[in-house]
Amino acid sequence: MADTLLEVSNIETYYGPIMAIRGVSFTVPRGAIVTILGANGAGKTTILRTVSGVMDPQKGTVAFDGRPIHGLDPDKVARRGLAHVPEGREVFPLLTVRENLRMGADARRDAAGIAADLEAVYEYFPVLRARAEQRAGSLSGGEQQMLAISRALMARPTMMLLDEPSLGLAPRLVKEIFEIIGRINRERGVTVLLVEQNANMALHVAHYGYVLEVGRIVMEDTCERLLEKEDIKEFYLGVKDASIRGTRRWKRKKTWR
Amino acid sequence: MALIHGQDTLPKLFRHVVRERGDAVAMREKHLGIWRAITWREYGARARAVGSGLVVLGLRPRDVVSIIAENGPEWLYTDLGTMSVAGVTNGIYTTDSPRQVEYIVNDSGSRFFFAENEEQLDKILEVRGRCPQLVKIVVYDMDGLHAFRDDQVLSFEALRELGAQWDREHPGAFDALVETPRPEDLAILVYTSGTTGPPKGAMLSHRNILFQLGYADFLAEPRPGDQQLSFLPLSHVAERTFSVFYPLRTGATVNFAESIDTVPENIREVAPAVFFAVPRIWEKFYSGVAVRMREATRVGRLAYRWAIGIGTRMAEARIAGRRPSAGLWALSRLADLLVLDNVKRSLGLHRARGAATGAAPIAPDLIKWYMALGIDMREVYGQTENCGLATAMPADRIRLGTVGIARAGTEVRLSPAGEILLRGPHVFLGYYKNPAKTAETVVDGWLHTGDVGTLDADGFLTITDRMKDIIITAGGKNVTPSEIENQLKFSPYIADAVVIGDQRKFLSCLVMIDHETVAQFAQERNVPFTNFASLCRAREVQELIGDEIERVNKQLARVETIKTFRLIEQILTPEDEELTPTMKLKRSFVNRKYKDVIDGMYAERSER
Repeated sequence: MADTLLEVSNIETYYGPIMAIRGVSFTVPRGAIVTILGANGAGKTTILRTVSGVMDPQKGTVAFDGRPIHGLDPDKVARRGLAHVPEGREVFPLLTVRENLRMGADARRDAAGIAADLEAVYEYFPVLRARAEQRAGSLSGGEQQMLAISRALMARPTMMLLDEPSLGLAPRLVKEIFEIIGRINRERGVTVLLVEQNANMALHVAHYGYVLEVGRIVMEDTCERLLEKEDIKEFYLGVKDASIRGTRRWKRKKTWR
Repeated sequence: MALIHGQDTLPKLFRHVVRERGDAVAMREKHLGIWRAITWREYGARARAVGSGLVVLGLRPRDVVSIIAENGPEWLYTDLGTMSVAGVTNGIYTTDSPRQVEYIVNDSGSRFFFAENEEQLDKILEVRGRCPQLVKIVVYDMDGLHAFRDDQVLSFEALRELGAQWDREHPGAFDALVETPRPEDLAILVYTSGTTGPPKGAMLSHRNILFQLGYADFLAEPRPGDQQLSFLPLSHVAERTFSVFYPLRTGATVNFAESIDTVPENIREVAPAVFFAVPRIWEKFYSGVAVRMREATRVGRLAYRWAIGIGTRMAEARIAGRRPSAGLWALSRLADLLVLDNVKRSLGLHRARGAATGAAPIAPDLIKWYMALGIDMREVYGQTENCGLATAMPADRIRLGTVGIARAGTEVRLSPAGEILLRGPHVFLGYYKNPAKTAETVVDGWLHTGDVGTLDADGFLTITDRMKDIIITAGGKNVTPSEIENQLKFSPYIADAVVIGDQRKFLSCLVMIDHETVAQFAQERNVPFTNFASLCRAREVQELIGDEIERVNKQLARVETIKTFRLIEQILTPEDEELTPTMKLKRSFVNRKYKDVIDGMYAERSER
């Protein structure tokens, strides 16, 4: 793999006595979009939390840009250029959209750069410009998601961790957000680690994918090839070969080939 | 003449015990997480309705009824219902493909087909156009099929209603049918998995089965309230005998495991009095304890080692036929109280008065480990063609490494070539509609098992291998692969292995790793891996398996050591042709499928 930006090696993360991540390893090359697919409770969010420093792994290492970051506080990790957009948006509801965006650039001192980035963000999400003076709490779910991504962008991150950006959004909005994630990656060179349940969308925007089941990675490949795998089609894309009766409810056994 | 409870056929025996036992519990299945009891009276009534329903649909005596379903009460209703109206039942493995289903349905001339659910129904629908003898298809579980209409398909419920109505309108007709089969008549067909050529339908008579029932107490004297757990496929003769037929004699309650994945929990809930499993299951239980002990505290590990040491000395005394010294006996009670009982409880075997292993070879050390725990585990040997059980380890004379002595009333001898031959009332009627194969297999009443073995002066039988599996190396040495494979499988990290080397310069093997324990190992050692293939390729995992093989090599003669190996880099399921339904690797198939890998091993070694 070309230039590795993030390297996660054999991490184990616990919630109390429960081991949520059971020896997970993966890499994210610089400039790529990598996705981790998995069902509810597979451990996707825990992986992002472990990478961004919200949780510390009991075991294993996380290296970002060649330097270990596991065990660092989340703000230190963020200052190294890793922006975490958590699931469920978590914008500041009482601040306006513009204030929320300024919060994203809190650590920066280059006023001109900030202004340019603000403009770029409005360019990606014109609706945020229109709502700039509105309180973030009054935005729709989709708009809040756009705001959360934009706020992360304001820190000029090298890499973004996106946790279920499609959650609870209308299909048209999901499509729009994924398109812009692709553009941000191409135009601004931001590396993306994307965690998703919407496998279809994720596999179309990302370059490389891992499948996580109960805390372990069971499959990895380029997204193109993943889209062709029987197990992915059946369990993540909901595509089934029609049976002789036309419908089929039963599922095959997973083999991860 | 074998009589069980004074009856000479299965339908009569079933009718008799249903009357005798009435509201005693015959079986339990889990419904929405709660065990639900079914009494013998209900069992009898439902089986009767199924049998009567089949008569309405046009079943004639000796018609074959095929069942493709996971273990459950419906399977048993169908089995005994069919036999009660003089039909013949045949179980099909749920993992069989539509093509295999088609073959068996046509070979057996099945006129009726019972499918568990939508998934199994789809198989028969796909091939029914090529099954001209098929009359009706009955579905147990109609979930997802409410909108489905087809003249050839009806629900199990509808069948039972048809039957109950017919029964009311024709008093005495059902009972007359129960009397029809004679003891020597065909009762069930059991298709042998057929590692060579297509599967063959072994015909077993009422007499064959009743004769085996005469031995149903060999593991432990039955007691009221005894529980059993049913989880191996009912299409296998051993599970069928153990879970469907034995209770007709013993009155034990059969509990159906929810699925193969929940067996460890279910066995703890049920705490069976007698337990039969294949070596794969016994190996898994052992691996679980071995891994748990590795993770235990130092004190825990020491306690376990101490207790199992005492248990081993007790087991050795029993094997040697010695009475343990009073001191050792007292220590063993203490070891049981402090440690071993807990281990047994964690396995759900604390109430097991008897346990048996069979259907595949097992490492003698594994049996010894269970004996050390205080479980009376005994190896049995037999095959479909002799209705499951031919030899068993007697309780009072244990010789590990042997499969015991011939069951009373039967004979075992060796052919000049060393093939094991069996004779007695347990020998089957022959292969269905295949007189040529039958004539090859049963000669002058002697069943040719295809296994090679030795008999000692006291009649203890040792199985060497399947005759066709014996490897003759390029150097002309005879090697029995299963012996080596059993040693390998004793490792908690190896699920199964196939030794290769026929007409080759040296031995090699293909290994299927135990996914769970090896992943655990990798995690503990900080070995990064992503998918199964990368786990197999990890240097540390290769070394781990290499070490396990080296450990086994030390116990082998020089010609027999394994010089190189490869791991199978795919997760295999019973749907894969590489595995038998009981999760054994099929030697011939593996040899064909992995030919390139195997050739690679030999090319690489000879280049060096």
